[in-house]
Amino acid sequence: MTVSTVIPAAPISTAAPSGKRRIGNRKNSTLATVLLLLGAVYCLFPVLWVLIASTKSSGELFSTFTLAPSTHLFDNIGDLFAYRDGLYWRWMANTALYAGVGAAVSTLVSAMSGFALAKYDFPGKKFVFNVILAGVLVPGVILAIPQYLLLAKIGLTNTYWSVLLPSMISPYGIYLSRIFAAATVPTEVLEAARIDGAGDWRTFGRVVLPMMKSGLVTVFLFQFVAIWNNFMLPYIMLGDDHLYPLTVGLSGLLNQGANQPSMYITVVTGALISIIPLVVLFLSLQRYWRVDLGAGAVKA
Amino acid sequence: MKKTFAGVLAAALLMTGACSSSDDSDSGTTATKPGEKVELTYWTWAPNMDKVVEGWNTAHPDIHVTVNKQDGGDPAVTKLLTAIKAGSGAPDVMQAEYQKVPTLVSANALADISKEAGSLKAKFPESAWNAVTLGGEALYGVPQDSGPMLFYYRTDVFTKLGLEAPKTWDDYAAAARKIHTANKKQYLGTFSANDPGWFAGLSQQAGASWWGINGDTWSVAINDANTQKVATYWGGLVQEGVVDNKPMYTPEWNAALNDGTQVGWLSSVWGPGVLEGNAASTKGKWKAALLPQWDAAAPANGNWGGSATSVTTQSKHKEQAAQFIAWLNTDPAGIKALAGTANVYPASVDSAAALTEPPAFLSNQPDFYTIAAEAAKITKPFTYGPNVNVAYSAYNDAFGKAAASKKSADFPAALTTMQTTTVDDMKNTGFKVAG
Amino acid sequence: MRRGESRAAHSSRKVSAVTALPTETRTPRTATRRGRRAGAPYSFLAPALILFVAFFAAPIGYAAYLSLRRVKVSGLGLGAGARTEVWAGMSNYARSLTDPDFLPSVYRIGAYGLIVVPTMLGLALLMALLLDAGRTRVGTFSRTAIFLPYAVPAVVGSLLWGFLYLPRVSPFTDVVQLFGVEPPDVLTGSWVLWAVANIAVWGGTGFNMIVIYTALRAIPTDLFEAARLDGATDKQIAWRIKIPIVLPSLIMTFVFSLIATLQVFAEPMTLKPLSNTISSTWTPLMKVYRDAFVRNDIYSAAATSVVIAVATFAVSFGFLKLVGNRAFNQED
Repeated sequence: MTVSTVIPAAPISTAAPSGKRRIGNRKNSTLATVLLLLGAVYCLFPVLWVLIASTKSSGELFSTFTLAPSTHLFDNIGDLFAYRDGLYWRWMANTALYAGVGAAVSTLVSAMSGFALAKYDFPGKKFVFNVILAGVLVPGVILAIPQYLLLAKIGLTNTYWSVLLPSMISPYGIYLSRIFAAATVPTEVLEAARIDGAGDWRTFGRVVLPMMKSGLVTVFLFQFVAIWNNFMLPYIMLGDDHLYPLTVGLSGLLNQGANQPSMYITVVTGALISIIPLVVLFLSLQRYWRVDLGAGAVKA
Repeated sequence: MKKTFAGVLAAALLMTGACSSSDDSDSGTTATKPGEKVELTYWTWAPNMDKVVEGWNTAHPDIHVTVNKQDGGDPAVTKLLTAIKAGSGAPDVMQAEYQKVPTLVSANALADISKEAGSLKAKFPESAWNAVTLGGEALYGVPQDSGPMLFYYRTDVFTKLGLEAPKTWDDYAAAARKIHTANKKQYLGTFSANDPGWFAGLSQQAGASWWGINGDTWSVAINDANTQKVATYWGGLVQEGVVDNKPMYTPEWNAALNDGTQVGWLSSVWGPGVLEGNAASTKGKWKAALLPQWDAAAPANGNWGGSATSVTTQSKHKEQAAQFIAWLNTDPAGIKALAGTANVYPASVDSAAALTEPPAFLSNQPDFYTIAAEAAKITKPFTYGPNVNVAYSAYNDAFGKAAASKKSADFPAALTTMQTTTVDDMKNTGFKVAG
Repeated sequence: MRRGESRAAHSSRKVSAVTALPTETRTPRTATRRGRRAGAPYSFLAPALILFVAFFAAPIGYAAYLSLRRVKVSGLGLGAGARTEVWAGMSNYARSLTDPDFLPSVYRIGAYGLIVVPTMLGLALLMALLLDAGRTRVGTFSRTAIFLPYAVPAVVGSLLWGFLYLPRVSPFTDVVQLFGVEPPDVLTGSWVLWAVANIAVWGGTGFNMIVIYTALRAIPTDLFEAARLDGATDKQIAWRIKIPIVLPSLIMTFVFSLIATLQVFAEPMTLKPLSNTISSTWTPLMKVYRDAFVRNDIYSAAATSVVIAVATFAVSFGFLKLVGNRAFNQED
């Protein structure tokens, strides 16, 4: 490998003109269309089922044909929101808080460490990276109990902090940030900033963060979804159901013990509404869902 | 206006509370620390318990109780045990199912409140009192609710086939055959490998007591002759195919209750609430009866469900907490709220006064609570051990396999697995176990 | 627009080569600058390291400690002081590894992985290639639809599939019965493994598809336009050009899928109450859960956790060594 292989990064705006791929005769393929539609149907079917199920009354859920919609959607939503004085809203707000704050802090932490790991050489770098990477491999179920026992020692269990703090670190986010930093921040720019006399933090804030922006949105989305869908950590940490996120709250409605009926209709309606914010997030930020796991691996 | 009402209520409560012996210590504490407000947290999963507690809070401005609703008996115990292990995070007051009491006592999670609570013994049936004292001098809680088992059946189906509520288990088997023969899709019941509490209740009725204490030694009798009898009986019915083998409390089971393919349910006094929630459209078609009997001449019953209210060892206000749970479970206002608002079947012997109307779902059966009282009266004694959780999870796995295989021989074999797993676990932990 | 993005991603690869350069070839700096910069990477890493130590390293260390401890009770074991924590040596490990339920659960996830990983990645690759070939009008719709299950929590997804599996509430029953066939109960017997695998494939295909698709978009078009002009078919281009180029991405998705497979938990846990076949030790993590939360024996649970963690490391790093992929260690 020689210095000559280094090509300054082309600014995104000067990238190849769009539409180049349409060069050549692009015939529509029936087979491709059919296969893709089959895939879409397979993935949408259970979602369609929730949509239909949530229009049924509790009796109809277990008696009428599964795919026959009914007219009780708004009753069900009303019941869901009336449940214990609107506790569901509280769960929704909690979830947004855990996922929003947790993902934001985690993204910043990841960006800083990803940048340091990609763009600096320092003693212990390899060790630090390998150890953090090993963290990707540890299942949340295994971590949750010792995390609880340790947080209990400082009296933080059953608080917002008990869910927020562990959510602020994401080895996977650091791993991704390192890839993005390596891929989007040219060393020349850093050298230039250095020669201009800018400090490391200033360079990071003014130059690096803007360059990594689109990659960091991806990291944010990842962590947001991970926290939004997390069950085990809040399940263990929280005793007060006013602090619950949606997953724990809904699962509690389902498992009320033998002497209470399971609130299937409420859970189904709650499940439907709980995925709406994520779907909206997906659709509106779809262009950020670009994860080139291979990018960091390729050497010129 | 509101204040006046609260004052009157408080006065009334004080007067009614005066007969309870716990009252002396109660007024003692509050008098020594005037103006100091005590905050208590209460973990419970009974519905509307926050509204029940409002009655207490209004009347006792010095002792404020906050309800933390839990997801059910198992998650609540898991969280409590983790909090005890961690040294902080436990509530002051905790609803604990009777079968969990020995486990919790063994983990040093429940405080002995025999001094604080005074003598409440006369207010509860002996079996419930035993469950919170473990047969000793200490008191690890006050019985809150109980769950005498009852049999629910679809009167329309029974009438059509000329059947009556089965008096004995032989009658039950005969009815199950008749129903399934008449309609291949219909079953009188199902053997649920997911509900160890249900099976324990049926075994209790047959005369089993899975654990026992003799001096400082435990005994385990999960595969005694009585339980073997129950397991063999159900194994036979499952192999014959006249009862279903699918677990209860699944969407499948709900559908079966709704469309009339499950036409009977061996359940408990709280059954009507579950039926109403899961199969509201079948209202008016169900009736309750005593469980079928092994010996019609000597009727017996078992429990499924039921819980105590306990004070945890992490509570800094043991006295006030004991005062609250005594009110909840023995004061007429507390009992009335438990029965009417939280919809549980209070354990107190005075509960009859609060239970005059049948549950709404069984409004066609005005004598429902008379039957329930009879069922509670003939309930057999049963001792739970310190590792009920191990035995119960062994039940899930072993009987899950047996139910899936549909071979009657696998049922008593599953019982042996349960026994071995339970005894091994106790020995491994260091408990002194006989045999 | 998308073209521009892929172009950027492409050029970024070359940039990433910069990081691989030995430090010495960089612009020489003055001594003072070097001194000032020495602490910088550490200060950037500090928050991550503090959080990592607090919420990963310390809990793992604590779990390792707990795995060597046990509770000892005396007599009836009731009341205060009857329970003491003592050293257990390796006895928790011995019990964990000799538990008759442990090995079957390991084999089970082995079989599960053999079903899930190839199916999921095969489907993801196929869908990504179809999308990338651009010969359809339903691309955007399908891409969004296939990605959607990623937004559904595993607990909720499993609940939905549970409804679709149970014969009496499943719409498939009605459909199949139209043809006079009695549908199998997929929550019994050997069907269960497939039922659980299906949920994982459903939930994971979309995400992996996006990863592979991103990599495909980054391939410079000139690499295959020439082949196309020479008359190569889409299929040939896919096999000979596209797949070899996105191989690093495929390897990484493989590794992450493998890890997810070893950790399968939420799906069987949610289906368990619906089925007699799924036991409480159906997968190794379910055994950890049972020991910790049902049996309240966190010591055994900790021992099994350590075993699982070590096995996961061995499998993942072993695989990466095997394929010689250096994604984890760019600066080698």
